[in-house]
Amino acid sequence: MPLGTLDRTPPPFFKQGISAFSKLVLFALLSVLCMVGDVRFRVAEPLRATLSVLLSPMQFMITWPKAGWSELSHWVVSRNEALDRAEEARLQMLRQSLRATRVEQLELENRQLRELLHLDLPEGIQGRVVEVLYDAPDPFTRKVIINKGASQGIKPSSPVMDAKGVMGQVTKVYPFVSEVTLVSDLGHATPIVNVRTAERGVVTGDGGPLPALSLRYIAGNADIDENDLLVTSGIDGVYPPGLPVARVVRVERRADTTFARVVCVPTAAVSAVRWLMVLNPATVAKRPEPDTGEQKP
Amino acid sequence: MMLRDRQLLLPVKPGFIVMTLVAAFLLDMGLSAWWAGNAAWRPDFTALVLAFWIVHQPTRVGIGAAFFLGLFTDVHVSALLGQHALAYTVMAYLAVMMHRRVLWFSVRAQVLQVLPLFLVAWVISLTVRLAMGDAFPDPTYLLSPVLQALAWPLVSELMLAPQRRAPDPDENRPL
Repeated sequence: MPLGTLDRTPPPFFKQGISAFSKLVLFALLSVLCMVGDVRFRVAEPLRATLSVLLSPMQFMITWPKAGWSELSHWVVSRNEALDRAEEARLQMLRQSLRATRVEQLELENRQLRELLHLDLPEGIQGRVVEVLYDAPDPFTRKVIINKGASQGIKPSSPVMDAKGVMGQVTKVYPFVSEVTLVSDLGHATPIVNVRTAERGVVTGDGGPLPALSLRYIAGNADIDENDLLVTSGIDGVYPPGLPVARVVRVERRADTTFARVVCVPTAAVSAVRWLMVLNPATVAKRPEPDTGEQKP
Repeated sequence: MMLRDRQLLLPVKPGFIVMTLVAAFLLDMGLSAWWAGNAAWRPDFTALVLAFWIVHQPTRVGIGAAFFLGLFTDVHVSALLGQHALAYTVMAYLAVMMHRRVLWFSVRAQVLQVLPLFLVAWVISLTVRLAMGDAFPDPTYLLSPVLQALAWPLVSELMLAPQRRAPDPDENRPL
């Protein structure tokens, strides 16, 4: 038998290093420490950022052919399809042109009225376009990872939207990528106002496989109907007011509960979307300091 | 087939172990980025290949490697930091404990031997997240460890192929 056929070093009999059980205890404790640091004290952020930087070349590498593929399929659409799309876009532009031409006049009027009433002027909303790298694979949450991070000026808690409405909010910012929690995530709540009735409420995600939201704490006899449009109310200081969030699809009024069950679908295409817009975080008006009880002379 | 009847294997190259672990990680990334999204049934190939090497080469791949791979997985899937690290650590410990036993079974019977490893890792992940207040994802989540175990024979075949080459290649056995 030639050399190199077998392992040349026999397995160690006596010198085995630290026992497997000690290693288990050590690394399990480290894991628990990471978890506690991540959830309770927010001290694990530098560790996360470091690991994310190490991972980002792999992430860009694995998603790059996907972007290339969609570019390619974009190139080879048939002539008829391309013509149809162009026609559709033209019609849509015509439909919107009437509204668009009135925006300037309305904004001016709005500003004058606000000045008359001595209200604070809302700041202009600015945004930047980002690309979705991939859906976060964690089955417990609904998140996507976008291809811009702290080094490109993305800030935590910036609102994110697509062409049709609110997608969610930037929740974690790494140096080169960021994580967006979608409105359909179980832990995500969006303050809304019903456009038809001007009634305020909060929609939370269902966290299910299908993107769905539920409007919570709506009285059983409240005025809410199917097909009502819900837009952001802007009182949270995160989302600018007036962005469409969801449309009501079903209202269940039951005798056994005080609240109605209101099911909505997000207006944004919460899954399968490639380009998103990250808006600048809304500047929150400075909150009044809590009264410390000190009396000023 | 018992261990003593088997073909003697060439020694494994450490570079190959690292390469397969990275490849499994990339496969997990690609599977979710290209096709499955965050579908709950996705098997975790990183855990599978990790368990495979711990069972076959416990002196080279161990609990430490499992912990660090777990941390990377946590960041990539944007789960709780430490969730997969804990799951992989415990899985690796159990794999080290049973590595002498597993290889005496045929590859098909090994599926039943390793299924508990993946189930334990799965239960740990689930418990951690439920304790954090997340909801149970959806029923297909139960499939994930089962699919993982079912892929064991295929992975065994692929990972051992380089070690099954003839020690003295000649005209008839070029590989």
